[in-house]
Amino acid sequence: MRVLKITPERCTGCLRCEIACSYMQTGTYQPAKSVIRVSPFEGHTSYAPYTCTQCAEGWCMTACPVGAITINSAGAKDVLDDTCVGCKLCTIACPYGTVFYDTGTRKAFKCNLCGGDPACAHACPTAAIEYEEVATADWLGDFARERAGHVLATAGAR
Amino acid sequence: MATRHLIIGGGTAGMNAMRTIREEEREPSEITLVTAERPYSRMVLPYYLDRTIAESHVFTATAAQLAKWNVKTHIGRRATGLDVKLNVCTLDDGTRIEYDDCLIATGSSAVRAPVPGADGPGVHSFWTLDEARGVIAGIQRGTHVVMVGAGFISFTILNSILSLGAKLTIVELAPRILPRMVDDVGAELVESWLKAHGVAVRTNVKLARIEDAKGKKRLKFSAGPEILCDAVIMATGIKTNLEWLKGAGINIRQGIVVDERLRSNVPNVYAAGDVAEGRDLISGAAAVHAIEPTAQEHGRIVGANMAGKPVAYKGSLIINIVEVCHLDAASFGAWDDGKAEAVSSLKKDRNAYRKLLFTGDRLTGAIIIGRSNDIWTTNDVGMLKGLVQTGVSLGQFKDYLKMNPFDVKTAFIASKTTSTLLPETVLGRPSKAPGDSPVAV
Repeated sequence: MRVLKITPERCTGCLRCEIACSYMQTGTYQPAKSVIRVSPFEGHTSYAPYTCTQCAEGWCMTACPVGAITINSAGAKDVLDDTCVGCKLCTIACPYGTVFYDTGTRKAFKCNLCGGDPACAHACPTAAIEYEEVATADWLGDFARERAGHVLATAGAR
Repeated sequence: MATRHLIIGGGTAGMNAMRTIREEEREPSEITLVTAERPYSRMVLPYYLDRTIAESHVFTATAAQLAKWNVKTHIGRRATGLDVKLNVCTLDDGTRIEYDDCLIATGSSAVRAPVPGADGPGVHSFWTLDEARGVIAGIQRGTHVVMVGAGFISFTILNSILSLGAKLTIVELAPRILPRMVDDVGAELVESWLKAHGVAVRTNVKLARIEDAKGKKRLKFSAGPEILCDAVIMATGIKTNLEWLKGAGINIRQGIVVDERLRSNVPNVYAAGDVAEGRDLISGAAAVHAIEPTAQEHGRIVGANMAGKPVAYKGSLIINIVEVCHLDAASFGAWDDGKAEAVSSLKKDRNAYRKLLFTGDRLTGAIIIGRSNDIWTTNDVGMLKGLVQTGVSLGQFKDYLKMNPFDVKTAFIASKTTSTLLPETVLGRPSKAPGDSPVAV
């Protein structure tokens, strides 16, 4: 299956992915409704986007009491709006923190890989986000550990 | 001869067990379901109450779906006895069902405060679909509803009652609301939020009796003024449905004591969900976790084991979330562990609260409260669950979290929590989508 491969070293923090994602997912340019979210590291000198891994367990999918989360043709876990009642159980069942709740629609929403043509990967000008046939991985862990750890050390944290 | 599986209870645990049997089995087996009610999801009843969804939306298995799974059903029937020597279950209509293995997933029932008038007209529970229908019929615009009990159950239907245009008063015996879901500081924040949104809250009051008063209900307390209202909802707790199993030789403490494969002391009798006393993921101790995710995971573990795939369960994690008037309150794991090292932070101007509990350098419990549209809250609820669920070693990021309890993401990512999570599955394989319902072999 093709996944969103993140190369955090390439991210410039331009937020084009968030803008593209929110537009594709909700029809509005509203980064707060993006399901890919860019985080600052190293005291806002570096950035990296973070989104759903489409994990094997699918904690959101198995937790849903009404079967409103399914697997779409791109292999992504996808919320069926007509079935979702908005109980929020998926938002706390997902241990990655990548299922959100829209207070306007009163439905859960998450990355569905735009059905196989992810807008974030298109929008990324530096190929920090690519859509590739690779095994999903912890793309950000080492990057964040090094950079956040560096900030802790310089701040004199133990 | 095909293996005969008997599933007693058509709730979340039973449904997940049946589905997993069909997913995992290598040879055709017989499944018989005994269920007092047509299978539905209790989680969605609040949305039926506020008319967001139609009643048809609550059902988790249609007759067609059960037929597709080749399940023989006894709907509307209750089990009344289990003979674990003969492997026979007796139903309330006298039917005897022989089984090779059986799952007890009979769930729990609402309990009402033991006061005079608690069973009178206009006094409701909100637990089963039938009870939900009763509440729906009893609430119109302008109805004054008194909810007895300020726990999780009453909070799940609070929004629905308000959205129907009813006036709501909550009375609670304990000195504060949500005693089993958040700590004192969190409860105070939620209580003042509720009061600011027009909900009357009275804590520390003991209900003495409920009387009829010319078409209304009068609630009298052991102290303080009485309340006159139109309808009463008793959300005063639940109890496991296990009376029918007394004397059957099944080891029961708080619930049916089960091993890591959810088997009782009788190896071909499993238990799951609210009636099972299984392993708590954080403490490792035996505990009853009467929550939806535990019923779901228990059910799948039992289904796999019944189908001949031995799968051990790591244990269940207490997770709860309620939204009241667009304020989210959630808690994870051992949030009330007095022995843990705790750090908390309250941001009154944002109506946001965090409490993080550490054991060594692992996060073992958390409370998070904040507005539903506050990105601080929505970004972090799942990550807190991930940190507690994995128990990753936080190292230097423990101190980071203690200093910055509102910045969970940095610690989550930098602790490589994702690396720990990616290989984790409940059944040792990728989950199947609900739409890919397996059919009988």
